[in-house]
Amino acid sequence: MRHQNTTDHGTTAVNRLAGMRRRVVGSIAGLAGTMFLAGCATNAPQDTFQPKGPNAKIIDDLQKPVFAVAGIIGVFVTVVVIIAVFKFRDKGQPIPHQSHGNPALEITLTIIPALILTVVGVFTFRTVFDLAKTSDTEMIINVTGQQWWWEYDYPVQNEYGITQPIITSGQLVIPAGTKVLLRQTSRDVIHSYWIPALNGKRDAVPGRVHLNRIEADKPGIYAGQCTEFCGLSHANMRMEAVALSKADFAKWVANQLKPYASPAENTLAKEGETVFMNQCIRCHQVNGMKRADGTPVIAAPDENMVSGAAPNLSHLMSRNTFAGATFDLLNKSCREDVWGAESESFGAKYLGGVSEDCLNQTDLRGWLRNAPAMKPMYANPALLTSSGGKYRGMPNLGLTESDIEKLVAYLLTLK
Amino acid sequence: MVRRVRAEIGSAMFSTGSKYFFGITFLGAVSFAIYMLLIGESAIGATALFGLVGATGLLTALVLSTRDGSKDEEGVAASTAAPTASILPLIGAIGATLLLVGTITSPVVTLFGIVALLAAIVEWAVLSWSERASSDAAFNASLRKRLLNPIEFPVIAAVGLGVIIISFAQITLAIDKSVGAIAFIVLGSLVLAVGVLFSVRPSLKRGLVIGICVVGALGIVAAGIAGAGVGIREELVHAKEEGHYMHQECGAEKSKYFDKLPLEGVSATSSVDTHIDLIDGKLVASVQGIAGDQKTITIPRSNATNIVFRNMSDGEYRLVASLGSKMVTTDVKEDVVQCTQLIPQGSEQMLTLNIPKPAEAGKPFTLTVPGLTGQSIEVIVP
Repeated sequence: MRHQNTTDHGTTAVNRLAGMRRRVVGSIAGLAGTMFLAGCATNAPQDTFQPKGPNAKIIDDLQKPVFAVAGIIGVFVTVVVIIAVFKFRDKGQPIPHQSHGNPALEITLTIIPALILTVVGVFTFRTVFDLAKTSDTEMIINVTGQQWWWEYDYPVQNEYGITQPIITSGQLVIPAGTKVLLRQTSRDVIHSYWIPALNGKRDAVPGRVHLNRIEADKPGIYAGQCTEFCGLSHANMRMEAVALSKADFAKWVANQLKPYASPAENTLAKEGETVFMNQCIRCHQVNGMKRADGTPVIAAPDENMVSGAAPNLSHLMSRNTFAGATFDLLNKSCREDVWGAESESFGAKYLGGVSEDCLNQTDLRGWLRNAPAMKPMYANPALLTSSGGKYRGMPNLGLTESDIEKLVAYLLTLK
Repeated sequence: MVRRVRAEIGSAMFSTGSKYFFGITFLGAVSFAIYMLLIGESAIGATALFGLVGATGLLTALVLSTRDGSKDEEGVAASTAAPTASILPLIGAIGATLLLVGTITSPVVTLFGIVALLAAIVEWAVLSWSERASSDAAFNASLRKRLLNPIEFPVIAAVGLGVIIISFAQITLAIDKSVGAIAFIVLGSLVLAVGVLFSVRPSLKRGLVIGICVVGALGIVAAGIAGAGVGIREELVHAKEEGHYMHQECGAEKSKYFDKLPLEGVSATSSVDTHIDLIDGKLVASVQGIAGDQKTITIPRSNATNIVFRNMSDGEYRLVASLGSKMVTTDVKEDVVQCTQLIPQGSEQMLTLNIPKPAEAGKPFTLTVPGLTGQSIEVIVP
């Protein structure tokens, strides 16, 4: 009886073990299958294997053969190991003859990887130097990272019609087919700028200027993501590069240089301008805005923000995103219309900006109502001791629905 | 011998209770140190940990001195003798007073109080324990010395050296610079002479040697106290009040203080945004990543931007950054100006600009060199 029980217990344990093994193997196979199928995704704007510019192409030209060589070697080694494990597993056979040392084999197995690595090294160095070249730069844009958005400023470059500096955020606008040099730095912590379709990643480090060249073959929008962990909303620190044809880029520049136009009197937008001056101007600059007495309105983000800066909202509605490119200013259908446009028609659609019909009212109003609820930020006034009372991100301003209504009307005028 | 004494000390001193409390005290002290380093002294946790260290330290001392309250025969025999008169309780009381006074006056006073209190507790506990270690007073005294002398001698030497150094400092701060040089040449010569005397006359009486050293040290300390009483010399008082070594004077002429001993080289190379070169009387900017000489540079607002000024012209020049103006009071505006020191040909110096706001329309920021007309670099902050 006792023997019978012991046998039963043993059988149960073996069955459990077999079941567990099946579950583990099933899970691994499922995970591997999911990862494999993920590679087939068509809507993958941050796919590193789809270069859309010469710099990304250089990287792609290097990584594909290296990946192929490494893959062949990896598969070969794995197969040999598996064969060795199964074919020579312990089946009770006598231990085979043991030999120690085979100089010819060891030298061969050292030289072959060394040669492979040397070849890979030569091409890698060549790629690194090609990507570090700046002598052929055609356009300069200063890029400054901070928690959790990117600022772009365009120094005066008369050949592109940039007769005054342009400052924007969220979307980096460049002329297609132009070698653009980004001069990257950071105002607070280390960030990393990466638009996979246009180039590899490059850190933005406080106190330093790092150079990063990008170029887009065709007009279109290219998505990217901060790739250096930079705090609470690192995952929401996105960026988009917008490439326009040279003619369209000139139009964009001309629009950015248009002087500020205050909304007409006795309109909702005019009331919104007053709300903006009372609330938003503490951090957000709108170039050209003046008070009733004619004095320029200068924002003071340095007094309120840890980074000392907040996005300049001049011509906000010429961008398609806000809040560090986390949210779309365009509603879904209009966004798809722009993102899905062919190269030829893309510029016109993008330059159309954000109209009232296309505005993503839900997210913009939600943001104005309570920004920290939409994007994690250190913006709780009760928890700012360690930052000397300064915010990291936009706080909840406690705006009334009426104020929000007015502000939305005003922001829509910032074309 | 050493092993025997270690064993004696170990077995006689560290009773079961004392090990426990000593462990908690040590752990508390380490936690306190880590807490201070990582979180800071203002947090309530630091106060709590310090309290724990103080309390368990006191218990450790009590348990050590009473040997867990055990009544072994030797201890009983030893305890029948009257304890030696000691100044340690008085030092401990002064330390406690300083600690309390320091909490409302200065952290330095508190620090002195803590040091005095801890030293008195340790010394008194070991003295008390050693006096009851055995019935042999001489052995007890030797036990105390073996335990404490390795700590006492270096600490006393360090403190003594510190006092001498502070005294020297007080003397040099009080007397005139030229007199100070002569005084210390004389003093140095005296030290050398006395040293030579000691070495060539090893047979000198020990009392005489000690006497000369003590008189010398007391003389320096007395002079230091006198110097502290007189106060630092007038020139330094003015320097401190006016801050004129830090106050930037950005004109073409040489500033008496700000331009004294100018830095002539910059070690940072990787964090430089722009080089401003003065070549044959012409000012040009070379910006990282931009080919060719520039007359305009664009830098982001609210961000430290390093600019290196290189003087490649004959003569001494400085770079001046005119960064607009700021409101000092509601009605008064003040020009914001930053500059390098006056540097000779072939030298370079860094200027770090951090401009929080864009320039007002029509008034761009500029980099200029005083004394050179028609040469400037425009700084644009978008």
